[in-house]
Amino acid sequence: MKLTYALTALGLAIATPLPALAATIEAVMYKNPQCSCCEAYAAYLEQNGFKVDIKPVNNLSQISSDAGVPADLEGCHTIMVDGYVVDGLVPVDIVKKLLTERPAITGITLAGMPAGAPGMGGEKTETWTVYAFTKDGKAPTVYAKE
Amino acid sequence: MNYDFRYTASRRGFLAAVAGAAISASMRTAVASAIDERQIKVAPGETRFSGADGPPTAVWTYNGTVPGPALRLRQGQPVRITVENGLDEGTTVHWHGIRLPNAMDGVPGLTQPPIRPGESFVYEFTPPDAGTFWYHPHADSLVQIGRGLAGPLIIEEAEPVAVDRDLLWLLQDWRLTKDGRIAGGFGSMMDASMSGRVGNLVTVNGQAQGGQTVRAGERLRLRLANASLARMMALRFEGHRPIVLAIDGQPCDAHEPEDGRLVLAPAMRIDIALDMQGDPGSRHDVIDDFYDGLAYRLTTLAYDKAPPLRAHPLDAPQALPRNSLPEPDLANAVRQEIVLQGGMMGGGKLAGVGGMTGMGMPGMNGGAAWAINGMSMTGDGHAGMAPQFTLERGASCHLTMRNETAWWHPMHVHGFSLSVLSRNGSPVPHRQWQDTVLLAPRDVIECAFVADNPGDWMLHCHVADHQMAGLMTVFRVT
Repeated sequence: MKLTYALTALGLAIATPLPALAATIEAVMYKNPQCSCCEAYAAYLEQNGFKVDIKPVNNLSQISSDAGVPADLEGCHTIMVDGYVVDGLVPVDIVKKLLTERPAITGITLAGMPAGAPGMGGEKTETWTVYAFTKDGKAPTVYAKE
Repeated sequence: MNYDFRYTASRRGFLAAVAGAAISASMRTAVASAIDERQIKVAPGETRFSGADGPPTAVWTYNGTVPGPALRLRQGQPVRITVENGLDEGTTVHWHGIRLPNAMDGVPGLTQPPIRPGESFVYEFTPPDAGTFWYHPHADSLVQIGRGLAGPLIIEEAEPVAVDRDLLWLLQDWRLTKDGRIAGGFGSMMDASMSGRVGNLVTVNGQAQGGQTVRAGERLRLRLANASLARMMALRFEGHRPIVLAIDGQPCDAHEPEDGRLVLAPAMRIDIALDMQGDPGSRHDVIDDFYDGLAYRLTTLAYDKAPPLRAHPLDAPQALPRNSLPEPDLANAVRQEIVLQGGMMGGGKLAGVGGMTGMGMPGMNGGAAWAINGMSMTGDGHAGMAPQFTLERGASCHLTMRNETAWWHPMHVHGFSLSVLSRNGSPVPHRQWQDTVLLAPRDVIECAFVADNPGDWMLHCHVADHQMAGLMTVFRVT
């Protein structure tokens, strides 16, 4: 019941540009203690209706790997949100699409630290491909492009 | 957790030393003292991080133990160490910080071929400097050190130093899975391009969460060695005031560290004098708080209940006798500069990664994540590594190291100790000599040394992942 309500609220949030309508979405971010881009990304999520609990960890690649993120598609931090893994600097509309559509996947990832991505400086110079991954050994698939 | 300095093969070693001396005397005329013979076998084994009753973990060992046996050698006495390889892959041993002949330095491809499985290599050298050193493989270093290969190497002073006890803490950092095995994933590009493979369990002499028994009133010489792949440490001894006596084996002016915090990067050693002025029966934590938000208790100083060993505290500890290092002639020194580049948030300055603000993950597809002066030498060392610069033998070199990256790098120079002159323009006090100099992000370090030892010598970051992914160079002394 609650879940349905939250999802409806999310749907509204996507449909309207006013994030204040959305319920706060709790997220936990695992990040390298010495990486600053991730904190800028967390602030970006917080401006968009999330509450981010930042957990600095020294074994991020292990956490990311345990979470099912393919080794060649690692982003620079790992977020656990509403039953999904969101790895790297994924734009918030794609995160919200994931939480609304609720596909049968483990999570999504934007590999590396592309220029212009949320949390990074610079200009966007290329199309970003966000991949969906699962833990069943199947190859990652394209979830979204931006 | 008192470290046992005894070397298990000492009796056999002594007999072999006598025989070795006889043979050497007939072949060479200059041998003044008996050769100290040691044997090290590299092989898979298992260890228990949490005491005899804890679960076993499969590791790689020197002589069956983690860490390897403490080699206690004498300053100025020749040693011959036979290393037998019982692994399924090639290995070498690097005698970290010892000034020795280039062919004994243990860098595969550069100073020797790797010791193949089932084969042996004999290392022979005469340690010129007394102090705290360590030994570790230089082949497949990330995996071999990460699976446990590391051991302490103590070069004893000719005259014993006046302390009540001489202790050693060899610190290792392990990345374990939930079921207590050593995690795979060595060489992950994220580790390589960020802070390296930092683990989730730190051991002191192979034991996690032990305690150091101490006695009120005693003075310890405590030798700290960070044998981690990547974990920087900053140790605080709660309720105590450590005095730094030596860094990287080389005595410095005795001094209290800044903020009472001992910063110990991978491969660094610090010898401290520690006066146990706590109450009998009291306990004091030793905290590592290097990483923001990730402080933890390394171990505990546990006082026994015995009354203090002496009624009054001792006078301040004396500096250790200095080793005879050649003094660089700064007025006539050759200037060289190395610039560290790359890594995450590195501004994409690394060749091949693109000159944009963002970047793909450096180190992706097994490529380089780092470079020195625009050149990425990856791996552990190999034949045909072109020297970054060449020094005439006997020349003084004034070396500037400039960290243009967003990450910390302990830069290790093989074969020499560096007189550390300045950090970011401020003079470095206490007349420090180091073989592993830690550079914070954007730091500029100036140091100097006399190029008195011929050969091709490696200079690299001792965060193993960084070295493997390009933060390495070579210089030549003719």
